[in-house]
Amino acid sequence: MRTRFVIAVMCVTSLVASGRALAHHSFAAEFDENKSVKVSGTVTKVEWTNPHIWFFIDVKNPDGSVANWGFEMASPSQLLRQGWKRDTMKVGDQVTVEAKGARDGSNHANAQNVTLTSTGQRLFGGPPPGQQ
Amino acid sequence: MRTYRITTTGEGMVALALIFAMGGAAAAQWLSLPLPGTARTADGKPNLNAPVPRAADGEPDLSGIWNAPNYDFVQHLPPVGTEPPMLPAAAALYKHRVETLGYDVPMTYCMPHGVPDAMFVAAHPFKIIQTPGVTILLFEEFHKYRQVFTDGRKLPVDPDPAWYGYSVGHWEAETFVVETAGFKEGSWLDNRGHPHTDALRTTERFHRTNFGTLELSVTIDDPKAYSQPWTSRNIGLVLRPDTELLEHLCENNRDLERLREAPKITGRQ
Repeated sequence: MRTRFVIAVMCVTSLVASGRALAHHSFAAEFDENKSVKVSGTVTKVEWTNPHIWFFIDVKNPDGSVANWGFEMASPSQLLRQGWKRDTMKVGDQVTVEAKGARDGSNHANAQNVTLTSTGQRLFGGPPPGQQ
Repeated sequence: MRTYRITTTGEGMVALALIFAMGGAAAAQWLSLPLPGTARTADGKPNLNAPVPRAADGEPDLSGIWNAPNYDFVQHLPPVGTEPPMLPAAAALYKHRVETLGYDVPMTYCMPHGVPDAMFVAAHPFKIIQTPGVTILLFEEFHKYRQVFTDGRKLPVDPDPAWYGYSVGHWEAETFVVETAGFKEGSWLDNRGHPHTDALRTTERFHRTNFGTLELSVTIDDPKAYSQPWTSRNIGLVLRPDTELLEHLCENNRDLERLREAPKITGRQ
């Protein structure tokens, strides 16, 4: 039974909340733990892939222009263990992302929290105890 | 709602109760499912404090899905606060890896962790399957495996060098001792970058202390990288009951380009 009708506000903490806990590559070489990013926008693409999930959102700038941002998350296996499903976040969804920005200054970041607005229910608050 | 089996045994009822407790969506995957080999308390929950299970030959059975509880072990293999006695070339390589934030760790290029650190990747558990003659380690990360032969064979003489080397194991009382040699250079001993050469020989000592705990230590003997053998910190892995490994591959490595440029960006050459 899908739960898409009851999901409203979904706050999902990714595995990489500590910022350094990436299995696949060095976090510190690519992202800056001190460079916090918080943006809101519309999901344009979700890549539910290994070794990392990537998703992209269009963010409206104050001047009215639109920038496309790309966010890295953990692997599908890691997010599945936390309760994500491959269709938890879909193209067209409105999301707010808290992330750590790329060192190269591009519109890429490592997502730490994703808040998806639908009906108001808080579905996930973080990884289950002992899982990281 | 799907069910896996319907029986009138206590175990079957526990299985059904767990399935209903999890809900249909969760039960539709192998992420969480009751497995018959799991020791349980009276209320049906996994009993991680149960006694060590035994194989048919009477030895401890190490089979199960094991997971590092955090990233400490994969980050730094030596005992906390210590550095092993590196020879000059190894020390220089290690220094470079630390200073460049590990940007070129093998995983950047989709090569896996090696021996022993593939077992310590907290994000990805591994599975031990202990059978007569060979104990198999299946690593979720990158879908890799190791074989530890227990059929009495000796380590090969002049083997073709291999990422994971060649492994044989034997029991010393309650401890499973795995000796490995025949490595090629390439893997790091940990994410911090402790190096090894093709002269590396490892001795892993596994001790399952109860149903849910696997303790081990690893001795590193590499006379081309270290002036004397050294032994890792004491490592404790935890059992992940009632689950399975999930697929992890390297199909979409978007990080590679940025990581190649990392030293230029961070200013750490």
